[in-house]
Amino acid sequence: MARKEFDTFLLQDPATFIEDQELELIVRDLTPEDRRTKYRSFFAKAKVSKSSSSYPDLLWVRLGRGQLLEEPWSIEILKEVNKFPE
Amino acid sequence: MAYSYPKDNREFIKKLEASGDMVTVEQEVDWDLEMGAIVRRVCEKQLPSPYFKKITDYPAFEAFGAPMATYRRLAIGMGMDPKSTIPEIAAEYVKRTKGKPIPPKVIDRKDAPCKENILLGDDASLFYLPGPMVHDGDGGRYLATWHFVVSKDPETLAINWGMYRMMVFDEKTMVGPVLPFSDMGKMFYGKYVPKNQPMPFAAVLSADPLSSLASCAPSPMPEDEFAGMLMGEPVELVKCETCDLEVPAHAEIIIEGEVIPNVMIEEAPFGEYTGYRTSPREPRTVYRVKAITHRNNPIMMISNMGVPTDEGQLLRSFSLGLEMHKLLESQGIPITGVYMLPESTHHMVVVGVRPAYSNIASQIANLIFGSKLSPWFHMVIVVDEETDIYNKDDVIHALSTKCHPARGIQIYENHVGTPLNPYASPAERKLSRGAKVLFDCTFPLDWPKSDLPIKVAFSTMYPQAIQDKVLANWKNYGYEE
Repeated sequence: MARKEFDTFLLQDPATFIEDQELELIVRDLTPEDRRTKYRSFFAKAKVSKSSSSYPDLLWVRLGRGQLLEEPWSIEILKEVNKFPE
Repeated sequence: MAYSYPKDNREFIKKLEASGDMVTVEQEVDWDLEMGAIVRRVCEKQLPSPYFKKITDYPAFEAFGAPMATYRRLAIGMGMDPKSTIPEIAAEYVKRTKGKPIPPKVIDRKDAPCKENILLGDDASLFYLPGPMVHDGDGGRYLATWHFVVSKDPETLAINWGMYRMMVFDEKTMVGPVLPFSDMGKMFYGKYVPKNQPMPFAAVLSADPLSSLASCAPSPMPEDEFAGMLMGEPVELVKCETCDLEVPAHAEIIIEGEVIPNVMIEEAPFGEYTGYRTSPREPRTVYRVKAITHRNNPIMMISNMGVPTDEGQLLRSFSLGLEMHKLLESQGIPITGVYMLPESTHHMVVVGVRPAYSNIASQIANLIFGSKLSPWFHMVIVVDEETDIYNKDDVIHALSTKCHPARGIQIYENHVGTPLNPYASPAERKLSRGAKVLFDCTFPLDWPKSDLPIKVAFSTMYPQAIQDKVLANWKNYGYEE
């Protein structure tokens, strides 16, 4: 089965990013089953590695003005987090 | 008296087709970047609007790009001859908007095309709509690129229509900047947030051209009344499904919901009207969706901001400049005209004046920098009546020759700016701080007349009889025009 792909916007220097720790971030789904929902964002608890092979899914990284890093990282999404009042 | 104008986008599209200002795109186009790329190129080349008949994944929808990115299309939207000159369009706008405000008329929902389809609850998903990914690397899909947001002041009940960009976050959530000095910003952050109250909103996607024009005009009155002035009759509104707001009945798509207090999520980056991706990705205002209503076979209007010229730049420049015109005229300043260059991404305004007294340029700059219009521009060029304010070559000539490099330039520090200003430092962007500059291109009045430089041009250097003779014989000399 093909790996799912997500992306995120990193608002810090990638060199200072700490890998393999549980963190909360906003990711966008780039490969949903229903293509109409491509780019759906959500808050996720996840682990991230700069290596593309460490975790099950690919994570493309963009910087603050949308610049795409050349190589994807990898991500394991632990759960989606709801931030909005019901 | 009602003016002749297109009542909705469908009528507008027919008029554009008849005038040759539109191209029908029968080939399927993808909402994911392809449609945006086409619209961007159309704006940069100043080509006819593309009317997209087939959108990937969204067979029930059509889309229309760059609806008012040229003065020809603006003239058609105002019901004028597409060949109208900029001063003619400007004079018509000023004439229509100088009179008494015309309140809107609320019509029955059965007569409102925007109620032909109503989606509530889970059906009201933002992914039901073909929101384009406008530029590669944007923070999300921007459903609202040619639209306005309706909101109501909870104390005065005044209505505001304003173009506030909205990025799709998930099926029920949009997010976008609502700057604190904007009308909606003052309302939401000043009156709803302190009480922790959600603010009802309705996003009007693809309204008629004059309602859209009214929504981006920085007018001092409620925009629904301003739209009526542009139309010469009341704009027809209809009540929303889920809140106490009214929306243009003939619009294509309406999104209703609430702006949520005390919750912010990250928005941007986005390719902005300055022609850059400037404002930072940061926590911004959150809209939660409750209902979507739309016409049958809805047409989604798409604007694509970037380097000049798109409709955001053109219409904002047009209306900002003319609101300044009205302000200066109301103060008795002897102006000959005001023109904001769309190519400046509404940052530079040219004011023509009869220099009746010393330092009149300073007075002009102080007035317009001190008005509510000022966050959106920062350069004022004041020229005398011999400069054609609509002619860029003439303005550049005046700027380069008549503005003293030291005495003619005045800097205004510590002004209101926007996070979108590419020239601003990251810290200035965060706090919406800016600076302003005046270029005074009038000759000082105390110079002896004999020392005043005289403009050397065909129109100024030759007696009328010689000019007439040369023009009458022009083709005989071998010239086409």
